[in-house]
Amino acid sequence: MRTPRLLAGGVTTALLLSACMGGTQDNGKDAAAGYDPQATVELTWWTGQTEDAEKVAESLAAEYHKLHPNVTIKTSPGAPTTDDLLTKLSAGFTGGSYPDISYAYGNWAGDLGASGKTQDLTSYVADPSFKWEEMPAAARTVATADGKVIGVPALVDNLALLYNKAIFDKAGVAYPTDDWTWDDFRAAAAKLTDPATNTYGTAYSVSGSEDTTWHLWPLLWQNGGQILDGTKPAFNSDAGVKALDTLRAMAVDDKSMYLDQTDEKYHPLFNSGRIGMIISGPWALLEIKEAKLSCGVANMPGVNGDHQTVSGPDLWVLFNHDDVNRAGASRDFIKWLTSAEIDAKWNLAVGNLPLRTSEKDSPEFAAYVKEYPGGQKFFDNLANAKQARPTVPGYEVLSRNVGDAIASVLQGKSSAKDALDAAAKKSADAVEN
Amino acid sequence: MAVTFAASSRAFAQPARRRRSARRNLTGWAFAGPATALVAGLSLFPAVWAFFISRAKWNGIAPATQVGWANYQRLATDPDMLAAARHTLLLTALFVPASIFLGILLAVALNQKIRLIGFYRTCIFVPYVASAAATGILAGFVFNPQFGAANDVLRHLGIPAQQFLESPSQALYVICLIALWGEVGFTTVIYLAALQDIPRDLVEAARMDGAGKWRVFRHITLPELRPVTVFTAVWQTITAMQLFDLIYTTTRGGPLNSTQTVVYYIYELAFQTQRLGYGAAAAYLLFAVTFLLTLLVIWYGRRRGSEVF
Repeated sequence: MRTPRLLAGGVTTALLLSACMGGTQDNGKDAAAGYDPQATVELTWWTGQTEDAEKVAESLAAEYHKLHPNVTIKTSPGAPTTDDLLTKLSAGFTGGSYPDISYAYGNWAGDLGASGKTQDLTSYVADPSFKWEEMPAAARTVATADGKVIGVPALVDNLALLYNKAIFDKAGVAYPTDDWTWDDFRAAAAKLTDPATNTYGTAYSVSGSEDTTWHLWPLLWQNGGQILDGTKPAFNSDAGVKALDTLRAMAVDDKSMYLDQTDEKYHPLFNSGRIGMIISGPWALLEIKEAKLSCGVANMPGVNGDHQTVSGPDLWVLFNHDDVNRAGASRDFIKWLTSAEIDAKWNLAVGNLPLRTSEKDSPEFAAYVKEYPGGQKFFDNLANAKQARPTVPGYEVLSRNVGDAIASVLQGKSSAKDALDAAAKKSADAVEN
Repeated sequence: MAVTFAASSRAFAQPARRRRSARRNLTGWAFAGPATALVAGLSLFPAVWAFFISRAKWNGIAPATQVGWANYQRLATDPDMLAAARHTLLLTALFVPASIFLGILLAVALNQKIRLIGFYRTCIFVPYVASAAATGILAGFVFNPQFGAANDVLRHLGIPAQQFLESPSQALYVICLIALWGEVGFTTVIYLAALQDIPRDLVEAARMDGAGKWRVFRHITLPELRPVTVFTAVWQTITAMQLFDLIYTTTRGGPLNSTQTVVYYIYELAFQTQRLGYGAAAAYLLFAVTFLLTLLVIWYGRRRGSEVF
């Protein structure tokens, strides 16, 4: 009597649990087919923002409600930090309470797309009125997971070369130009390095996180390499080894590269005049302005005239709740939010690059460039972001392995070839599905 | 009448007794129920669920695929797992004996009749009360290679400045040192209590027989402390093997993964790279190893005739 009951209980539990681990399957129907724009709906919006940006988001949601009184938008950051959003979302999927719209890092797109809970926006954004083509190509690629558009870019950025003019003047080195090669970069870094004053030519994060990894990708692409070949890691090609050796020469041979064990020290050190050049994005401009640093921005150094960079776009991901009116309303809200007119009040107002090329003539953009002189260069540099990080499930694992490989090579613990081969081998079964 | 009554009473007796016992049962469960539900809901259910997750490949978002024991098989050949296990073993091997030895030493010192003894005892115990997160952040300042107090001290002693937590070869030892600072208060208090439990007549008898201070300590005090030592060994082993918050607040497993312990690796697998199935398998392995180690120590303790558990 007792044993069968226990067994039955166990089987029920097992079934229940495996049901919890499952996802919903896409039924191929458009989530917003037959949507009534006048229906009263309540949307949940996780902005992933804090403090000032969150306040701007809330005021925009209120503005939208005024224009469309039938749409109420419950706005919240969603999680204490943007990084925590993914954990919140995965818990939400299991518990069945996830938002209609959530902020998401671009490298989560593969995992989120595989959840089966996202809307397929492919035909929606293809409508000419959406002006999808105005957004940078790299950002559009990141919003596409497994051939489906699952979201709309929320923020675009890219990496460029930032340099401290005072350190260059003091060392008598000419400022970087847009045509610099990596050899020019290395030579300048060596000249700027001065152990007596604790000054380094450049810096690199060796924490092994995505910050470590994605700085390598432009170098890999410039050398003609690829991150993945289909679903197979391909970054350990000759191009990858050459890319990593370029960095190794500065870190190990020249000792002109400050190696940051966290991701958090090299920006403050650059701002306080200890580092001559860093490769970073537009988010660095605010603190540079606050530090009153005389700073220039140039293209990434290149290989054979190829100066392509990497973009780390973030997304508004739209989720499906099997309610056509909610799906339709969330699409219309995001279309409004990312339109040229409203985006200027959102991204430019909080110090980010504009999402759309058509915003470059707006008064908001003129004000942005005036406040952040490097902003124009970063905006122009969007055109150099030609390739995107792959949106496949398992990219996070791959990124971690490559980050560890870079960290060990730059600290002289292994050769570029060995480290990248080991990382590729470890990543192989994480990426394939 | 009486007969009828007796008959009907007999007929009623059965259900009434059953009802009474049911009510008694119910009362019992009303007392035990909330706690049982809490334990079942917050400990047993997640543990069972984690076991099912450990047999799947799941990132928490996309549907899971059942992989059987593949996660466990992979653990055995995962170089990162082996490195993490090595770090955990080294940390445990350093931390447990050191905390027991220091605990006894400090307890003996604090068992003297001197002035302000209460103050000294408090001082030793305060780091244990402070959260490991606070300890970690504080230690981060002390061991900062550029501006930290530790390097200042070394400079005065004429020793070159060290990288401490930023050096792959030193970081684990520094972590161990910080953990000791935080945890030694606990063993000290335990041993202090044990010392005061030693029967006075035993010590006096030994004195009468002409034993010196050292011989009293060696032949009376130490044997009397053995049951407590079994307890502290088990406790501190579990503490060392589950050390997480300190690593999270100081090195985050770095530099070059040199402080990545098994628990931190599990965190990284499950919550940083979303490999929930593989992480759950690693967690189950750690549970099995901790459990076996604990059984071993208890068995050893029982064989030596001291039952503490």
